Amino acid sequence: MGQWLRSAASPRLRNKLPRAAAIAAFFIPFLIWPVGAQQPDPGLQDRLKGLSLDQLGNIEVTTTTKEPVTVTRTPAAVYVITQDDIRRSGATSIPEALRLAPGVEVARIDSVKWAIGIRGFQSRLSRDVLVLIDGRSVYSPLFHGVYWEVQDTLLEDIERIEVIRGPGGTIWGANAVDGVINIITKSSKNTHGALVSAGGGSVDQGFLDFRYGGGNDKDFDYRFYAKGFDRSPEYHYDDRNFDDFRRAQGGFRTDWNVTKRDSLTIQGDLYDGVDGESAKITVVSPPSAYVLDQNGALSGGNLLAHWKRDLGGGSDLQIETYYDRVNRRQPNQAEYRNTFDVDVIHHWAFSDRQNIIWGFGARLSLGELPEVVPTYVFNPNSRVDQLYSLFAQDEIQLVPGRLALTAGSKILHSSYTGFDAEPSVRLLWTPSTHQSFWTAVTRAVRTPSDIEDTLTTTTPVSTNPPTFSQTTGDRIFTSETMLGYEAGFRQLVNPRLSFDLATFYNQYDHLLSLEPGTPFMEDGAIIDPFVNRNGIRGTTKGFELLANWKPSTSWRIEGSYAWLDMDLMNKPGSLDATTVSSTEGASPRHDISLKSFIDLSSKFEFNQIVRYVSALPAEQVTAYVTADARVAWHPDRRFEFAVTGQNLLQPHHAEYGGDPGPLVGIKRSVYAAITWRK
Amino acid sequence: MKTPRTPAKNRWRAWACLVFTGVLICANNLPAQAPAPTDYQVKAAYLANFGRFVEWPPRSGPSQDQSFNVCVLGDDPFGPALDAALAGETINRAPLVPRRITKPREATNCRIVFITLSEDSHLKTMLPPLENAGVLTVSDIPQFARRGGMIELVLAGNKVRFEINVAATARAGLTLSSELLKLAVVVRKTL
Repeated sequence: MGQWLRSAASPRLRNKLPRAAAIAAFFIPFLIWPVGAQQPDPGLQDRLKGLSLDQLGNIEVTTTTKEPVTVTRTPAAVYVITQDDIRRSGATSIPEALRLAPGVEVARIDSVKWAIGIRGFQSRLSRDVLVLIDGRSVYSPLFHGVYWEVQDTLLEDIERIEVIRGPGGTIWGANAVDGVINIITKSSKNTHGALVSAGGGSVDQGFLDFRYGGGNDKDFDYRFYAKGFDRSPEYHYDDRNFDDFRRAQGGFRTDWNVTKRDSLTIQGDLYDGVDGESAKITVVSPPSAYVLDQNGALSGGNLLAHWKRDLGGGSDLQIETYYDRVNRRQPNQAEYRNTFDVDVIHHWAFSDRQNIIWGFGARLSLGELPEVVPTYVFNPNSRVDQLYSLFAQDEIQLVPGRLALTAGSKILHSSYTGFDAEPSVRLLWTPSTHQSFWTAVTRAVRTPSDIEDTLTTTTPVSTNPPTFSQTTGDRIFTSETMLGYEAGFRQLVNPRLSFDLATFYNQYDHLLSLEPGTPFMEDGAIIDPFVNRNGIRGTTKGFELLANWKPSTSWRIEGSYAWLDMDLMNKPGSLDATTVSSTEGASPRHDISLKSFIDLSSKFEFNQIVRYVSALPAEQVTAYVTADARVAWHPDRRFEFAVTGQNLLQPHHAEYGGDPGPLVGIKRSVYAAITWRK
Repeated sequence: MKTPRTPAKNRWRAWACLVFTGVLICANNLPAQAPAPTDYQVKAAYLANFGRFVEWPPRSGPSQDQSFNVCVLGDDPFGPALDAALAGETINRAPLVPRRITKPREATNCRIVFITLSEDSHLKTMLPPLENAGVLTVSDIPQFARRGGMIELVLAGNKVRFEINVAATARAGLTLSSELLKLAVVVRKTL
């Protein structure tokens, strides 16, 4: 048959066949869904009938993931990515897993770097999203964004990732302007035994995960893990292939129930990696810039302690403290940072109708930013950021079980901007157990970072006459502010079908702008100076619609559509000519995804994700559709064999502008993995 | 009516389908091969069983109602599983009947009330009246037994087990058989 196909098909058609077949293979399951969909097996329930309590307690069950009931009563746009979702998606990193959440814009810049945003403002720096791993804030005070390439843990150990779209400032702290990503790992009580997972493929060339956990079956549990991976470069049309990436990481966690009421968790991680980077280096004489492809050295670690006392009656007191160390040596910059943080939270079930949460925290971050190239300089090159916060929030049941009001505020004091308030009011109406409506008004603030305050960068503009543009942080830049209006609706049509709609209208003010100054001469060169000001304002509006359908107990389909409209403008007096268009054009207007997770049998699963992302004009990225698929077979409890294909619908596609340089194509890739646990 | 397929045949068909189409459209046409039950199927089975191990005081609980009502309070996570689990079952000749209710005060005719996750925030207000009415409260809300509920269904790994708060059942005047207490993973005597 293959012979016939080859001779009959024209060369052109022959080239297109694999692609067409791949696309067809992807959509067929989606198209024929209702045919013979499995119903819950009534015979199964009958078999359970004859069992004693003792026997029931020994039956292994599959847990129904994503019970819709758990989110229907949250007055915010929340999405929870479960461990099951992460495994089924075939994600090999946290950013990939974030693609599962609607309204989160995730673009791979190259093999190492990511650009992530929530409801707009997607960028390598993803400035306005607060990211926490077990309560530890992982954004860098350097630019108030996240270096995603070093945020990692054993993906198997993640219990869930809560993604809050929209301002989460009241409880979560500074810079949670556009959203919060809260990564929660499993208690070591739930990770007993050994786990080894190894695999490799065309881009994820090799990886090895190891974990061992245990406990005394009473009050103490522990685990430790180690992992390493080697990623190859993505597609570069000019064959520069600079972006290979290797990293090793290890860590531990202990959970100790000190008394009946007190529990203490101590955990830590250490990592070390080498990433291939490309950097633009400016030379002053002659005025020019060249691109240097060189390795960066990325390492760091953290140690965290979390103490919780159950005060009874639903109240508790928690204290968390951590130390975090970051070492980054890159081709054109370096950062060495120590962060100390302590937070106290008191959850107080004040009465039947009122639930109070209040707390306070302090963070001290000491950054050393030594000069690597003379055209990228922090002045001063060391800085201490202090952040103090105090928050209180009251959840009031106006009509118990039907109408709840949540009001609160955070008061923030940063060493560079003084006091900022982040109040929030949220209302939740649940007319029936199958419906809920919510609405919220929140103010959120992003405080200035080192990059805006103290960085001076120099870039050549022309050689004759020698001209440079120079951006200088002069500490006049103040906090960016946002006033967010949100409303949402959730409907549980039946236990198998649910919808979730979240809408938003955000007003931003005092956004960062680059304001030109008067050119001057320095050492025979013309300098076009720029300073950081708060010259941009504007609005974003949009919605995310999510539908979740379980045609049968072994099949889940989820579709989501996110629409975003950004409308920024210069404030009177602002002469910034680029920021508005470069920001608006860097987030997709449409983002659609369709997932299908099927258990073919108790031993066999098949998962697919198709996603469409519209064009990013400012990044020269065209719209694309691509898809991932994963087939896994677990013959018994101990083994799992899986093959995952990623970005299957084209040989490569770009997702975000090169950093710096031409677009990097994200390759179609396949990897296989074997997991053993005991 | 189709002839029943053996699991072995099904497995063979699944592989054949996979190999020949290269795609897993086969998913739709194949019944799962003895899949593991879901947690809620097992929880439903527990609800059908608990009544045999509990003695209600003569005066309390449903007096006129001839059926043994097992109620679900809150957003129903069971679907048809509970109806299937209770169908045809009796306790002291009273048929087990599933009921879905939305308010605690509708629970006075229930012998057993399963409080679903959606009611987490109202637990504190709803438990005392249920206790006074002599209803056996069961739930999978985290810390349910510690928060004043009677039987908490907990997931231990992939298995569904239960904890019992004896203090709460005693206050409600319920007598639990020793067999039930023996199988509970934790028995709380205070609170």
